[in-house]
Amino acid sequence: MFKIKLSQTTPNPLQLSLECVPGELHALVGPSGSGKTTALRTIAGLNNAETGKIECGGEIWFEANEVKGITTSLSPAQRSCGFLFQQYALFPHLSALENVCIPLYNSVADVTERKVQAQRWLNRMGIGDLAIRMPNQLSGGQQQRVALARALARSPKILLLDEPFSAVDAPTRQGLYKTLAELRKDLNIPILLVTHDLREADLLADRITVIDQGVGLQTAPPQVLFERPRNSRVAELVGINNKFEGVFTEGKLTWSGCNQIFNVVDKGKIPPHTPVAWVIPADGISLDATPSKTAIEAKVEHISSLGQIAVIQLRTLAGNHVITWEASAAEVKRLSLEAGNKSYIEIDGGKIHIMPLRPINDPRRFSN
Amino acid sequence: MDMEALILSLKLAIWTLVLILPFGVWVAHHLQSMGKARSWIEAALALPLVLPPTVLGYYLLVGLGGKSILGIPLVFSFTGILIASLIVNLPFAIQPIQRAFEAINPEIREAAQVSGLSQWQIFRLIELPLAWRGITSAAVLTFAHTLGEFGVILMVGGAIPGETKTVSIAIYDKVQSFDTVGAGALSFILLATSLIAIAISYGVFGRHPSRTKEWRS
Repeated sequence: MFKIKLSQTTPNPLQLSLECVPGELHALVGPSGSGKTTALRTIAGLNNAETGKIECGGEIWFEANEVKGITTSLSPAQRSCGFLFQQYALFPHLSALENVCIPLYNSVADVTERKVQAQRWLNRMGIGDLAIRMPNQLSGGQQQRVALARALARSPKILLLDEPFSAVDAPTRQGLYKTLAELRKDLNIPILLVTHDLREADLLADRITVIDQGVGLQTAPPQVLFERPRNSRVAELVGINNKFEGVFTEGKLTWSGCNQIFNVVDKGKIPPHTPVAWVIPADGISLDATPSKTAIEAKVEHISSLGQIAVIQLRTLAGNHVITWEASAAEVKRLSLEAGNKSYIEIDGGKIHIMPLRPINDPRRFSN
Repeated sequence: MDMEALILSLKLAIWTLVLILPFGVWVAHHLQSMGKARSWIEAALALPLVLPPTVLGYYLLVGLGGKSILGIPLVFSFTGILIASLIVNLPFAIQPIQRAFEAINPEIREAAQVSGLSQWQIFRLIELPLAWRGITSAAVLTFAHTLGEFGVILMVGGAIPGETKTVSIAIYDKVQSFDTVGAGALSFILLATSLIAIAISYGVFGRHPSRTKEWRS
């Protein structure tokens, strides 16, 4: 089990708690400058937090509090972690094999045995035949695999991946996804992935922690995160387009700016007449060409065709709200959707998720 | 030809190289992690580049003459000109090595740290090989510069044959006494030696372009 609780105010603010079990791939997602890489570097020992605790496999790597200061802080070399850098950071004067030999330098005394083990890791990454190549003779994907072999050669207790797929092309990325998926089954160690790509996190991670301005906002499995973001900022960060405001009172949500009322299920935590933000996932919205009793009248503002998929932007006549809806080209044709036409939107109240509407600087947003 | 002066110059250049290179590597490596003092130390180390040789020579003459810091007079002796040579060559030895260390991507060092290497192992296995180009440059510059050093050596050592009369001083002496053939021969040897030293350093870099290209980026 890997556990961290970190807090610092300078140079970059950080307020982050998370746990990761062996075999789990945990993604740390957030916009650029949100503190993802700072968190990863702090775990590896390349930075130190002001206060907090880092524990991996029962061993304390870092511990500090406001009274005593830093009481434990293992050096990066002492922390058994594999770190995959965004730009690979291969040793340019060493061959692929020699690069992978470096983490074995202190644990395997015999040079021949060291090379055998390093070659085994390269074989496992599917680049065994590139052992004698220098880093600048390798493609981006191949360099990434050498870097991954080097990160794993030490048999680390945790694997830290810093935006590992951002510098490679799409086909190479697919291959690396597959390698990572296979590795996580075999390794059975916690894997922490830093990425700004939500689709990537959704595809690979068991759980996602959304981080913004150094603060961990929500940790949840991808499906839960996309359907039930904890607050309005999380919804924004996970790219939920249809986010609105309203007032919630005893199971009924009144959409701000219009008289539309939805029956919404909640856990009974929200007091009456509370202003809330609410989101509706794509499958909670449907369109019809003809009006019905519950339908919301809207005007098609814009249609963007992206191959077989079209993104339709509608504006409600009451309240002037903008709703984005994705549909297949066939659906667009069936509904005769064209810019300027009227359409009727049905929103499934059961799929609405309501969230407290709190400002970004409200300290309550950090609480669970 | 004044073989004695030539041998003395080579002896001085080799001793300077042997003593200054390890020191240069040590200083250049430590300068990276220095805080506010760094600028002052760098300025002090670069002084021999801008100070007139006579000024530097004067201070060395005063510092090394009479009862020097070692308790014995060092002027007009080989030890004296060796100390002068070490001081004069500080910027030539340190700056190329310092630039080479600075050119190493910090992520490379961090990758070595998280690979479990100690600071000494990082220095030996990663930084030193990556700074090799700068170290070779420093060695070539120091060697060639020592062979050709004139003003400071003359101020501190005079021109005692076999003790302080180096090739450059011998050339000056020969020109003064209208021995143009002797001066020409010695000058040619200095020119050829400097050219060979620089060619060797270029050759070293040229042989491993693949191993040197990336560290500079």
